[in-house]
Amino acid sequence: MNRITSVVRLHLTNPWTTIILPWMIMGFILIANIAIWAIILGAAAPEDRADIREGLGYSGSTTYFFVYIMVLAVQAISVTFPFALGYGVTRRDYYLGTALTFVGLSAMFSVGLTILSVIEEATGGWGLGGRMFTTFYYGDNWLQRLFIFFVTFLFFFFVGTSAASIWVRWRANGLIAYFVGLAVIVVGGAALLTLTGTWPAFGAFFVNAGLVGSFAWSLVITAVAAVGGFLVLRRATPKSS
Amino acid sequence: MTAIIEGSVIEVRGLTKRFGTVTAVDDATFTVEENTIYGLLGRNGAGKTTLMQLLTGQDFATSGDIRVFGQSPVENAAVLQHVSFIKESQRYPEDFRAKHVLKSAPWFFENWDADFAAQLVDDFRLPLNRRIKKMSRGQVSAIGVIVGLASRARLTFFDEPYLGLDAVARQTFYDRLLADYAEHPRTVVLSTHLIDEVSNLLEHVLVIDEGRIIIDQDAESLRGSATTLVGTASAVDGFVGAREVLHRDAIGGLASVTVLGLTAQERTDAAAAGLELAPVSLQQLVIHRTNTSEKEFEVSA
Repeated sequence: MNRITSVVRLHLTNPWTTIILPWMIMGFILIANIAIWAIILGAAAPEDRADIREGLGYSGSTTYFFVYIMVLAVQAISVTFPFALGYGVTRRDYYLGTALTFVGLSAMFSVGLTILSVIEEATGGWGLGGRMFTTFYYGDNWLQRLFIFFVTFLFFFFVGTSAASIWVRWRANGLIAYFVGLAVIVVGGAALLTLTGTWPAFGAFFVNAGLVGSFAWSLVITAVAAVGGFLVLRRATPKSS
Repeated sequence: MTAIIEGSVIEVRGLTKRFGTVTAVDDATFTVEENTIYGLLGRNGAGKTTLMQLLTGQDFATSGDIRVFGQSPVENAAVLQHVSFIKESQRYPEDFRAKHVLKSAPWFFENWDADFAAQLVDDFRLPLNRRIKKMSRGQVSAIGVIVGLASRARLTFFDEPYLGLDAVARQTFYDRLLADYAEHPRTVVLSTHLIDEVSNLLEHVLVIDEGRIIIDQDAESLRGSATTLVGTASAVDGFVGAREVLHRDAIGGLASVTVLGLTAQERTDAAAAGLELAPVSLQQLVIHRTNTSEKEFEVSA
C-alpha cells in the first residue's frame, strides 16, 4: 500500500499539470463563454433576447475540459512510467497508484464543477442566462450533476489511461491499431444495428435507462478501459525515446 | 529451484534476451557478490543496458533465470524496493524541476540521505529550481548521479551515468561514490566505456560483447593478467612462440606484442631475452579481448 500512495504523491509532486493547469483551462472556458454571452445579448434586439436566452442553455463548452482530461492522463503516464520504474516501483503498484490518483482527481474536478453549477443556478446563469454546468444533459439537480460529472471524468481519465498504456508499450503503431480497432467496433456495431433493424431497441434502452442510468452504463466502458490498460501496462518496458 | 549462494546478490543462469532476430543478451551466466563494486564493460550495443534492464525487472527475459536477493526481480516489490537504477537515458516528467526529483525520491528509497543529497547538489552545482528540460545534458546526468548515490539502495545500477559531465564532475562522482561506499557498503554495478577512469574503483569486472559475458574476473587479477612485450621482432617472436597473442604491433624491426598470463619465471626469461615488459591497462585489455572475441568464438564453435 505504501508504494501505491508514493505513486499518488509522485503524480501530485508538481501540481501544475494535474491540478492548477486544468482549473486555469476551466476558468478560461468559463470567462470566454461569459464574454460571448454578453456580446451576443448586447448585440441583439431587445425583442429577440428571450429566444437567445433559450439558445444559451445548450453550451457544450465543458467538452473541451473533458477532452483535456484525457490528454492529461496520457501525458501523466507517458512521462512518469519510465521515471517510476527507475525508482524501483513495480508496474502493478504504479498502475494502482495512478488509477487511485485519477479517481481522486475525478472526485475533485466533479465537486468543483458541481459547485460551479450551483453558483450558475444561484446567479441566474452568471447574470446572463447562460448555462455551462447546468445544461439538461447534466441532470436536474446538483446530486445528479455530481454523479454525471464524476462518471464522465472517470470515463475520460481511463480511456486516456488505456491509450497511454498502449503508447508506453507499443508507441505510435499500437495507438494506430487501437483507434482503427475502435473504429471497426463502432462502425461494425452500427452496421449490426442497421442490418438487424434494432436501432429503435437501442434507443429505447437509453430512454429506459434514463439520463443518470445512461451515464451509469458508461462505467462498463470505463472498467473495460481500466482493466485493459492494466493488462497492457503489466508487460510494458520503459523506452528511452 | 537452485539453492541461493550465501552472499550473492544477483545470480544469473543461461539468461538470453532476443529482440526479433537480434540477440541482445546471449546465454549469460554469472553471480554478483554482496558489497562489491562491479564494472560492466563493453562496447556500445554490446548488451549492457539490456542486461541491466533485465536485472531490474524493467525488461523481460526470453529464457534463463535471474535471482536478485534470491527472487525473480520481475514485478517483485520486495526485491525492487532495494534497487536503484540510474540510466543515461533516464527520462524525467516534463514539468519537473530538480527539487521535485529530490522531494519525491525519499518516498521510494528507505535509506535516502537528504543531507548527503544536499551536499551533492552543492558539489555538482545543480540548479534546483530550473526545469529539467531546460538543463544541460551534464546537469541532467548530475540529477541521476545524486539520486543513485543518496538513495543508498542495497543494489545500485549506474548505466553510463555521466554523459555530459565534465572531468571535474566525473572525478567528484568517483570520489563521493568511493567515500560513501566505504561508510555504507552496498553492491554497485557501474556500466561505462570510460574504463581507465574507473579502473581503480572497480573490484570485479564483467565484460560483455555481442551479448556474451566474455570476462568475469576480479579486477586485481585481471589487471595483472596480460603483459606487453617490446623488443626486436625476432626476439619477440622467438619468445612468444605458440602463445595466444592479444595484440601485435610492428614498426620496422621492432615488435610489440600483448600476451596473457606470464609466470614469474617467464617474466625473467623474457627480460633475459632482451624484451621490455609493460603492464596492460584494463582499457587496453578490454579492447584487445572484445576485438578478438569473435575469433575465439569461431574457434570454439
